Amino acid sequence: MTEWHLDPEVVRHYAAGEVGPAVAASAEAHLMACAACRGQLASTVDVQRAAAIWRAVADRVDMPRRGVLERLLARLGVNDATARLVAATPTLRGPWLLAIAGVLAFVAVAAHADERLLGVFLVIAPLGPLGGVAVAFASGLDPTREIGLATPYSGLRLLLIRTAAVLVTTVPIAVAAGLALPGPAWLAAAWLLPAVCLTSVALALTARLRPVVAVGAVAAAWLVVTVTTVLNGHTRALFGAGAQLVWLALVAAAGLWLVGRRNPLTIRLGRSS
Amino acid sequence: MTAVRVIGATKSFGRTRALDDVDFEADRGVSGLLGPNGAGKTTLLRTVATVLAPDRGTVSLLGRNPDRPDERTQIRRRLGYLPQEAGFHRGFTVFAFVDYVAILKEMTDRRARHDEVRRVIALTGLESVSGKRIRALSGGMRRRVGLAQALLGDPELLVLDEPTAGLDPEQRLRFREMISEAGEGRTVVLSSHQTEDVAALCTRIAVIHQGRVRFVGTPGALTAQAEGRVWMDAQRAPTALAAWRTGDGAYRNVGDPPPGAEPVAPTLEDAYLLLVGRPELEVVAS
Repeated sequence: MTEWHLDPEVVRHYAAGEVGPAVAASAEAHLMACAACRGQLASTVDVQRAAAIWRAVADRVDMPRRGVLERLLARLGVNDATARLVAATPTLRGPWLLAIAGVLAFVAVAAHADERLLGVFLVIAPLGPLGGVAVAFASGLDPTREIGLATPYSGLRLLLIRTAAVLVTTVPIAVAAGLALPGPAWLAAAWLLPAVCLTSVALALTARLRPVVAVGAVAAAWLVVTVTTVLNGHTRALFGAGAQLVWLALVAAAGLWLVGRRNPLTIRLGRSS
Repeated sequence: MTAVRVIGATKSFGRTRALDDVDFEADRGVSGLLGPNGAGKTTLLRTVATVLAPDRGTVSLLGRNPDRPDERTQIRRRLGYLPQEAGFHRGFTVFAFVDYVAILKEMTDRRARHDEVRRVIALTGLESVSGKRIRALSGGMRRRVGLAQALLGDPELLVLDEPTAGLDPEQRLRFREMISEAGEGRTVVLSSHQTEDVAALCTRIAVIHQGRVRFVGTPGALTAQAEGRVWMDAQRAPTALAAWRTGDGAYRNVGDPPPGAEPVAPTLEDAYLLLVGRPELEVVAS
């Protein structure tokens, strides 16, 4: 038992959180050993502040370490709630991303041996992001879909958050693979607008069709149009500068349609069929 | 205001009619849907959970119409739902998963949300595994995680589809306690094909079979349906709808007793067997 006690002013400032780290550490060391000063502190401390500190400590202890993706998103300024919604997107799993990277890298490398595969790359590159959106909403692949449907969270908002997450992760993969292509540099990005266009059209069609069906219909139409065109050697007709303007116009039209149809879309996404 | 009111609900999946002109009501306390697998219990519960819309009929939940998007959102703010096969993001920890559902339940303030997550984790006895990944948990523990997320926000209406399925006897008892506590002061609608669970928990039962409601009433009223139709005999009676040899070697027969048979006290299970074994029999008791 020590004969020395904390100055009442120090106790008051400590309780209010108004002392520096050195004084705080010294006061805490003494408080641990001195019941009289602890008693003095107890009568001084603001109950609400103590409760807030306790909550913060409990939060820090209970809150599990966030995954790599959530930490990365937090660094990019995404709030923790949105980061968690993104982290729950089924297509942001390693195997899916590796599969996309593997296929595109294979085709890009193979195009060095046979330049006809350049066209194949341009045809399949937009399907990666598009497939990601479909898988993100396939009822069999989103294990919490049933629970999510019964919550008040907007289905459209979730669709858009997940679509953005899929695009943000798959597009860089496809761009990286595209940089390995032989031929002119513009080819590496020529598929980009078509990819955004296909995704936008698929989202717009979701007002009438289930997301997976909408994506399937868009992908099928894309393959029908592009495979024959590319096989006939008219790659520029689909991916040249003029065609890019058409894709841009289609992106804008699908975006406007999506905005106009957001209410029926929200209703449609709000329930199971 | 009745918390749950379903009138004339009909729902088909392709050629299968899952619900056929079903009427169902539930109010404060625990109400149970009893029926064999494929009877239509899950379809009715999904309707009550606002996930599914019936093809025909009207539904009113907490005084609101779930067909109207704005009212549906209002219902969902006061609803907790444990699906039959609750899926999880298995890589998430228990805390992270419950927190994820809390976000979907529009709990935007991080600190308050985490307080609520901690509350439901404590309510369901999951504190010790809060930081564990869900894929490392047993089936019973995962069921508790499902219940924890359903309890988020202290919902007025709790919909639990087969909450005790796949649990061992001890876990089932613990679950009964939790559901019983949850039923105080709110409306709980649960489904089960376990008559013991329903008898232990529910103040009101609806027996569903082949998409139709066969009985509505109290567990006592359902049990009373089997009065005089359960008897013990040295052998299986040909008139029995169901008969099984008990531990003491005698047969417990359920059905139409032969002359001279001495009836024994029926159980809820006996009455349930009589009801679903004879679909032409439809009873509505008060």
